[in-house]
Formats: sequence, structure tokens, C-alpha cells
Amino acid sequence: MLLGLLGAGSKHGYELKRAHDERLPRSRPLAYGQVYATLGRLLRDGLVTATGQDRDAGPERTTYALTDDGRAALDQWLGSVEPPMPHVTGALFTKVVVALLDADVDRAQAYLIAQRRAHTERLRELTAVKTAARATLDDIVAADYAIAHLDADLRWLHTTLSRVADWHREVHS
Amino acid sequence: MRPATLLRLALAGTRTDAARVTLTTLSAALATLPGLTALTVLAIPTPPATDDNPNRWSEQYTIQLLVEPGLRGGTAFALLLLAIPVLVLAGQSARMGAPGRDRRLAALRLAGATPGQVTRLAMLETGLASLVGTVVGLAGYLVGRKLLHHPDASGRLVLPTDVLPSVPAMAAVVLGLPLVAAAATAVMLRRVTATPLGVVRRARRTGAPRPWPALLIGLGVLAVAMIDPIVRAFRDTRLDWLFADPATRDLVIALVAVLVVFVGLFAGVVGVILGAGWISYFAGQLLHRFARGPAALLAARRLTDDPWASSRTFAALLASLVVGAGAAAFRARFLLDEQLQREQSRRAGYDDYAGPFSSFYLSTMDLVDLTVVTAVAIAAAGLLVTLVEGIVTRRRAYAALVATGVPRTTIATSILWQVLAPAVPAVLVALGVGHGFGRQFVGDHVTGGFQEEVCRASAELCQDPATRDRYTEIVQVERVIHSPDVPLEQLALLGAGAVAAVLITAGLGLLFLRANTAVQELRST
Amino acid sequence: MTHLQARGVVKAYGPTPALRGVTLDVAEGEIVAVSGPSGCGKSTLLHCLAGILRPDVGEVSWRGDRIDTWSESARSRLRRTEFGVLFQFGQLVAELTAAENVALPLLLAGTGRRAARTAAVNWLDRFGVAELADVRPGEMSGGQQQRCATARALVTEPRVLFADEPTGALDTLTGEQVLTQLVRLAREQRTTVVLVTHEPRVAAYADREVVLRDGMVDHTGLGFEASLGGGVR
Repeated sequence: MLLGLLGAGSKHGYELKRAHDERLPRSRPLAYGQVYATLGRLLRDGLVTATGQDRDAGPERTTYALTDDGRAALDQWLGSVEPPMPHVTGALFTKVVVALLDADVDRAQAYLIAQRRAHTERLRELTAVKTAARATLDDIVAADYAIAHLDADLRWLHTTLSRVADWHREVHS
Repeated sequence: MRPATLLRLALAGTRTDAARVTLTTLSAALATLPGLTALTVLAIPTPPATDDNPNRWSEQYTIQLLVEPGLRGGTAFALLLLAIPVLVLAGQSARMGAPGRDRRLAALRLAGATPGQVTRLAMLETGLASLVGTVVGLAGYLVGRKLLHHPDASGRLVLPTDVLPSVPAMAAVVLGLPLVAAAATAVMLRRVTATPLGVVRRARRTGAPRPWPALLIGLGVLAVAMIDPIVRAFRDTRLDWLFADPATRDLVIALVAVLVVFVGLFAGVVGVILGAGWISYFAGQLLHRFARGPAALLAARRLTDDPWASSRTFAALLASLVVGAGAAAFRARFLLDEQLQREQSRRAGYDDYAGPFSSFYLSTMDLVDLTVVTAVAIAAAGLLVTLVEGIVTRRRAYAALVATGVPRTTIATSILWQVLAPAVPAVLVALGVGHGFGRQFVGDHVTGGFQEEVCRASAELCQDPATRDRYTEIVQVERVIHSPDVPLEQLALLGAGAVAAVLITAGLGLLFLRANTAVQELRST
Repeated sequence: MTHLQARGVVKAYGPTPALRGVTLDVAEGEIVAVSGPSGCGKSTLLHCLAGILRPDVGEVSWRGDRIDTWSESARSRLRRTEFGVLFQFGQLVAELTAAENVALPLLLAGTGRRAARTAAVNWLDRFGVAELADVRPGEMSGGQQQRCATARALVTEPRVLFADEPTGALDTLTGEQVLTQLVRLAREQRTTVVLVTHEPRVAAYADREVVLRDGMVDHTGLGFEASLGGGVR
């Protein structure tokens, strides 16, 4: 996630936290410690690099930027489809936000379409399970639970897909 | 609600609403004409009796019906009768698009309108439309009056274009009709305004009609047949103590007779109309049991489902037919009289002279027949309206049927079945009842039955008073009852004409089927 | 030979285009969902495929014959014998009982009254509504009506069933039951189904989903890959 936020341009830790809280208002606010711990891990893996320090006002700040490896990792993450399980919405949402911040509308759309396909496939599988002649009521009720949630995700994917262009404009304004 | 709002809402509507309003206007205009004409006939002044004109005839007209004061009442009445099918037409057009309008009004109720407001709204629509119609009718009447004013060489007129009914009388027609129409609307809307949800589901399953209408017809015929006995009974019983002078007694008797005739006729006509409901139910059951094929099945179910629809549809037609068949009986009697008159004239050595009255009666009958034909035509127009309305209401189901591959011809056939299966027997019944009534009225032409002196000798002996007595015998002239023939030909013509009118209107109605079975109908709810 | 095929179908209502060149193949026994937002031309496509509407441009063929060139009566006969059609609601004849409604297509095909009724009751039974045989649509619930309508659409054992939002007017559970029965019977009889819906959940009953957008197959959606996946082209 932080990779995505850095993708839009190099930032220092405080800015990263603020960007996160702004873009993803529904998720828990990021703690500073968590930000620096994650940055440290990313530094260790060579996905980000410290590009400079400035101390204009107040404490010393280190600015971080993505490395080529980091960009590749981000690309891979954005390109991968989340397993269509119930309650994946959080991950879906985060990923779409990052795609919009970091890449263009097409990228976000491509992701949404791929995700929708995966969801639809799963929905179809579950429906097949349910309608199979030997399905027990256990199966049906369990499938219903998953179907209802996937259906909700799918509706969100459908509507977001048609809103993506407008959303992109707003994010980059 | 402010009047402007009321007007705005009353005028908001769909195409069917517009069609209904137009038809209401048109039928109001049509109904105004016979009404005003009848008033005109009644407005003809009766000149005082003079030596030249002891009968107080109005010599300025060429038509005897207008000339004789005694005939004018009947003429006006016949003209008013012509307004009846027009009013039925108005009633049928009011039903057009009624489900749609009812829904619209129900929606207004849901939006918070009070029942009174909704009723006022509908009354306003009907009332205004009728008012426009009657005003147009009045204008048409005034223009027609001017256009038809053609005195012939001797200054005589064909039509009473020289008199005008009194202004209050005209105003009563022009303003009264819309009021009546609006009141009728209010009555018809009682069900809709009662519940804001309107009538959504049609789960009506009334019991099978029973053949009570037959009883009504019997009662009617009986009543008419009883006139003579009733009148005689009145005359014979010693009721003199009741009435001071015989004139009052005669008046009362006449009134009772007229009342009985009216009740009888009314019962007969209503019986025929309600009988159509029973006939269509019965026809539907027969059709359901014996007919094959989906078209007959559809028609059968529809007939048994709402048998009274036939009564409503054919009411005007059947009423006109009853009158027409009665007129046919009258004509048959007049023809018989004419024939006997000719025979008598021939025997008496005159030429084939039938007397002036017979031709007068026969030409009057021509006028009556013309009225009947007009009435049948108007009734056919009403039939068309009902038929098209039925198709429009069912368009969704029809469109779905066509989409599932039911050929339009099947639907068309089912509609034809549905119209003809009850129409043909009902027409026959109407003709029979009408003729029965007419026959009761005209009775038989009885000759003879009295005694006559006949001189059986040569002319010379009979001339001589001295010898005449010897040869004179008193002979009983045989009583001969000449019954008028059943005018089968005319009745058949009338029936065939009515069925043809039904067929033509059904054909015209089916033209609307294609437009109403388009797939687009499935999209609109 | 393809089963049911549309080639570049264009259809407009007046100046508004409903379909702007749709190409679609449906294999025998396949259940295809046609989905997309409202007004994307789903129903129009179904009507064209079922031979109810004639496309302005393009071809519709059924087992190799171009049905778009057939006469109305020929297409009518085709719909009656080879196809079954199911709509959202309002397709039953109000005056006929359930059994008579279901028997109607058979009667049209010339089956005797008795045999038609037996078959109709049998089909009503498969949808669990045999006890409604002598009840009229006005006295049934929406779900019961839709079951009768489905029975009517399947009574002639059609090769293709066209269903236009068949559960649109039903609640979730009832819709699901109707759909489950429909799909099960279709698979049993190897009936091809073209299912128009805007709900992903309903579309999931199909083997494949074709997404329409603005009168065209939406290639960014599932349509493109899916129709390749259908293995026909």
C-alpha cells in the first residue's frame, strides 16, 4: 500500500501517513511507528530508497522514493486479482484507490474487469453447487452466504467501473 | 384545490384519455341534435280552428307527421328515442380507457387528494367535454336550420325550420346533458374513489347468471297482452262511484294502459339486454364443451368470465332491434290492411284503391325504419368503441401471446367468436320479442262476424220495395280473422343487417389488434 | 452448424438505436446470460434472436436457416414449436385457468383437449403448482404465476427457451426457486436457454455471460472472452 502512495511521487513519512488517511478514510489511521517499520522493511528489501533529507521546519525528515524493483512489485500487486472470497471488499477498495493514484484510468479499469471476472466465475461455481441435484440444505445455505456477499462486491465493481473515470479526475485534481 | 389546478389535472392524460374526451364530446353533440329537433317539433304552433282548417292542421309543412297536431307528440318521442343509442354510445365511450384513468385517479388519491376532489376532477372532465359537445351540437342545429330552410313553390316546408324552441328549453338541453353526464360519472366512480389503491387485482368470480331475464321478457309480453283485458275490466267493473264523470274515468284507464305498456316494454327490452348476459354465458359453456382449438377456448372462457360484458356491449343494438322488429309487425299489419282494402275496393267495383291512410301509415313506417337503421348504425359505433377498448385493455396479454408464437389470426378468430357467439342468438331473441310486442299491439284484422241483408233476386225485383222483402235474407257474414303474416323477410333483413353491422365493427376493431400486439407493449407496464 | 446465431444485428426504434451490430453464437444445450445496464438492448437482442422482431441490418440464423428473412407466420410457427418465450410478468391470459394457459401452445399445435390438459397438469406438477391447475392467474401470487408461465414456455419441449428478466418481479427466494427449477429442467432436456437479466446473481445461473453496453457486446466485459470460451468461434 505504501508503495502505491510513493508511486505518485517521493514523500517523507509524515506525508505518507497523511496521504493514507486522506485516500482511505474508512481504514484505521496509520500509526507513525507502523509507517516507519514498514518503510524500514521496504528499504531492507530494496523496494524504496531514501532520496534526501530536509529540515526546513522542525525535525529532520527523510524523503523516500520507489526503486525500479519497488515499481515492479507494485505493478505485480496491482495486476493480481484478489481471491474472490466474501469480505474482500477492503482489499478491492484499497487496490482500486492505489491504481487510480498511481496509474491511469485504464489500469484501474483493467483491474476492476479482471476482478469482476474472477468474482463472476466464483459466483457461477457457487450457483452450480447450489443448483446441483444432490445439494444439501447445508450446502445451499453456505453457498447463499457467499453468493450474497459476492453479489454485493459485484454490484460495487459494476458501479465503480462506470465511475472510475470521474473518480480519477477527482483524485488528481 | 384551486379551480386552475383542478382544470390542469383534469386535462392531464394520455392518448386514450384524449380519445375518450373526444368521443364524449362527439356523442354529446350527437345527442343534442335529436333533442333539439324533438323540441322544435313540439314548438310548432297549432293554429286555431277555422272553417278552412277544422282539424287545426299546420298546413305549412309537407310531412303529415308535422301537419297534424295529434301526431307531433309521437314524432317528437320517436326523435327522443333516437337519442337513446347515442347516450349508450356516450356511456360506452366513457368506459374507454377507464382502467387507465381509474389508475390515474387512484394515484391522485394516493398523493393525498380527497375522494371529493377526485370525483370533482372526473366530473369536470366529463362535464366540460359534454358541454363543448352540446354547444357544438347547438351550433350544428342552428346552422342546419338555416341550410335546410327551403320552402317549395307553394311556400311549404319539409322540415320545421321556421320555428325555434323556447330559449329555456334549449338551455335545458345544452346545460342539462353535461350535468347528467357529470352526475353519471360521479356514480360510476364511486368504487375508484373509495380506495386509494384502486382496483388492482381482478379476482372476480361472480356466480353463473340465471335465466331470470326470460321471466322479465315473459312479464313484459304478458303486460302488453293484458292491456285489452285490463281496459275492459276497468270499463265493466262498477267504478262509477269513484269517478264523477266518465271523462275522468277514461283518462285514468288510458293512463293505466299507457303505464302498463311502458312497464311491459321496458321489462321486455331490459329482459332482452340482460338475457344477452345469460346467452353469452351459456354460449361460452357450450363453446367450451364442444369447440376445439385455442381460439374457441379463449372466447369461451372470456364469455363465461364476464357474461355481462355482452349485455353492455349489445345493449343499444338489441334495444334498436326490439323496436325494429316491433315496427316490422306494425308494417305487416298495415300491409294486410292495405291488401284487404284493395280487395274490398275491387269487389266494390273500384280500382285497386287502397285509400289515403294506408299510404300514410306505410310512409310513416318508412321513417320509423330509417330511425331504426340509424339507431343500429350508432349502436354499431358504440360496439366498435367497446371492442377496441377490450383489445387495448388486454394488449399486454395479447402481445405476450403473439410473442410466444400464437398467430394473430387465432386471437382475431377468438375475438370474432366472442362477439358472434352471443350476438347471433341475442339478435334472434330481440327480433322475436320485438315482433311479439308489435304483434300484440296491432292485433288481427277482423272482417265479418255481423249480419247483413242480402237480396237474392234480380236487380229489378230487389229495386221494387214490394217484392224486395220476399227475397231478402239475413245472412251471417262469416267472421274472418286475417292475421298479418310474420314479416319473415323484413325480420331476416333486420337480423342480417344487425349481424353484418356486428361483423363489420368486429373487423374494424381487429385492425387495432396489430398495433396492440407489438412487442413494445411488453415493455410498458 | 451453429445452433443459434446473430451476425452484426442492428435494430433501431425510430431514431434511437437499440442494437448496434451484435454478433453472438449460442451452442446447443448452452445456457447464456445476456446482461448489461438498463437500456443496453438486452431485450431487443432477445426479441431479435427469438424471431419476434426483425433486425434492421444483420442476420439471425437458427440451425443454419436465416430466420430474419422468414415471414411473420413462419416465425410465429417457429416460436410456437421450437422456441419457448418467458417474460417478466403479465403473460398469462387472465380468463383462462392455469392448466388452460399451459395447454394453450399444445392446443395451437393441434393436440387434443384431453391430452393437452394431461400434459399441462404434468408440467405444472414439475414446478410444484399442480394444485393450481383450475385457478385463474388473478388469484395466484406472482411466484405462482411465473411458475405457470415457465411451465407454459416449456410444455412444448422447445429447443430454445428465451427468458426476459423471468425473476424481475419476484422476491429473491421465489426467483431463485423458479430459476433453479428452470435451469434444472433445461439441463435435463438439453434445452438451450437465452436468459436476459441485469442481475449478476441471476446471470450466474448461466454457463456464460454476454455483457451488452450501448447496443454492443461489451468487449471490456465478459462478453469477448466468454464468447471465445464458449468455443464456437
